[in-house]
Order: sequence, then structure tokens, then C-alpha cells
Amino acid sequence: MKISIGCDHIVTDIKNHIGKYLESKGHEVIDNGTYDHERTHYPIYGKKTAAKVVNKEADLGIVICGTGVGITTSATKIKGIRATLVRDVETVRYAREELNVNVIGIGGRICGVGLIENIIDVFLETKYKETPENKALIEKIDAMIEDNEQANDETMFDEFIEKWNNGGYPAE
Amino acid sequence: MSKVIIGADTKGFELKEHLKNYLKELGHEVIDKTPEGDLDFVESTKLVAEAILNKEGDRGIAIDEYGAGSFMVGNKHKNIICAQVSDEHSSKMTRDHNNASMIALGSGIVGKKVAEKIVETFAKAEYAGGRHQIRIDMLNKMC
Repeated sequence: MKISIGCDHIVTDIKNHIGKYLESKGHEVIDNGTYDHERTHYPIYGKKTAAKVVNKEADLGIVICGTGVGITTSATKIKGIRATLVRDVETVRYAREELNVNVIGIGGRICGVGLIENIIDVFLETKYKETPENKALIEKIDAMIEDNEQANDETMFDEFIEKWNNGGYPAE
Repeated sequence: MSKVIIGADTKGFELKEHLKNYLKELGHEVIDKTPEGDLDFVESTKLVAEAILNKEGDRGIAIDEYGAGSFMVGNKHKNIICAQVSDEHSSKMTRDHNNASMIALGSGIVGKKVAEKIVETFAKAEYAGGRHQIRIDMLNKMC
């Protein structure tokens, strides 16, 4: 499979580990960054990782930040993304089988590497089992965001980055 | 003390009742959006998110069996940041760093004691602000 991955600067090492782990299992990895430990902002990478999935350049996506909350929230806010932020294997199994999630988020400072690998294994192995009930729920979730161009709007966050670069946000 | 909006689907109903009483015992005001327990997680979470957007309260808690569905539905609302949590530390950190106004809990995933501590922490933890605000501004521009 083709897997889109992304992270913030807190957990770059773990993202790199996940990339290698996926490649060792024969998957192709699209690494959306960040690539180093320089302070940056998780929505940039959550959105980029999600865009590859909705554009069908990747089959599934995996995002990580400190708790996973910020980056997984940013991915979920993209039309067509169904994401879950997990700290256990069973939630991933359910979310794939019943809600056909296409992105998972993990807290790099919350889960250990063994659990992360197990979560990823189950995410990739588990197939959606369509039922009339879960199909109706998925349709309701997908209908919540109107069609928009946000997934591919690469200048969407520029105003905030410019403000940041001009000292418009506190450093601490 | 916080004003907490709470809601659950059928499978989260029992945990919701438990946490509602627990939060009240701590002195928080609790508004229950799903007193009947007959909704799916899309409908129950929408009620909580809309109440937060209408400023009926300052913290939202949405419960279903796994928390995954409520997490998605919460975050599909513009200006809502919803954290799917099953541990107390994430509950604290998501207030501190993400200014999350909602959490999603799985009644089949967390036991009552952990759930109590998660909601207790969430109800009292405050947002740190500072550099974190740029990320919040980015999230709030989305969807």
C-alpha cells in the first residue's frame, strides 16, 4: 500500500521510525514532513498528509504529534477524511471495520514504539465491513463538511506563518 | 468551576450518567444534551458541539463506545477542537496546548475511574496560550 505520513517537530524521530517500519513491510511511504526538529506547526503536516489521501495519491494516512490531538484534528477537518486518534489496538480495529477510517493519529509522547507498530499493523490489515447501519453513519459524517478546496489550498496558513515570522505570536 | 456540556449515544449513556453525577459532586454545572439515550453518535455529538458553539457552556464531553465516532463528528465542526482521549495526561495536555473545547470518550475503552480523572482534569485545566495560538488559529480556519 501507499501510506502518507506526517508529524510535528516533537516526534520527527518516531515518524522516521514509522516510515522505515512501513518500508520494511513492503509499503510505499509518502513523507510529508516535518523533517527535522525545528519548531513548526502541526496543522501544516496534518493537512498535507490528509490531502494525499483525499487526492488518492495514498491509500491511508498516519499522523503523529505529542499527544496526537492537534495533528489528528487538522486531518479530520479535511473533507473526505475519517480519522481516529488512538492509544489502543481495539479502537483501530473498530474504526477500520465500522467507520472505514482512512487516517489514524497517534500520540508520539503517549504510546511506546511496540504499541505504535501493533496499531499500524492492525490499521493496514483490517478491512471495512460494510453494513447498512455503518454506511449510514459514514454518509452522515462525510456530509458534515461542504465541498471546499482546503485540502489543496497550499497558501491557507500563510497569513499565520507571516504573522509568526514577524513576531506576532509569543515565543513561549 | 466549569459549565460542562455532556452527551452520549446509546452505548455511551451509562458512562455519561456516571460522569454527570461525578462532575456535579465536584461542583461543576452540567448540562445533559442527551437525557433519553436514544441517539447515534453523530446526533449526540452534534448536540454537544452546537451547544459549545452557542456558548451554552465552556467544556464539552461526547461519549460513544469507542470515542472514535464522536471525535470525528466534533472536529467536523468549524471552530471546534475535539480530543479523543483515554488517559488523564492527554486530557491535561490538550487543554494546555490545543485549547480543546471538547473531548471524546469511549465507554468501552476507558473504565469508570480513568474516565472520572479524565473529565475532572479536562474540566479544570486551562489553556496555556502563547506560541500555541498560531496552531489554534490554523485549526479554526479549517472546515
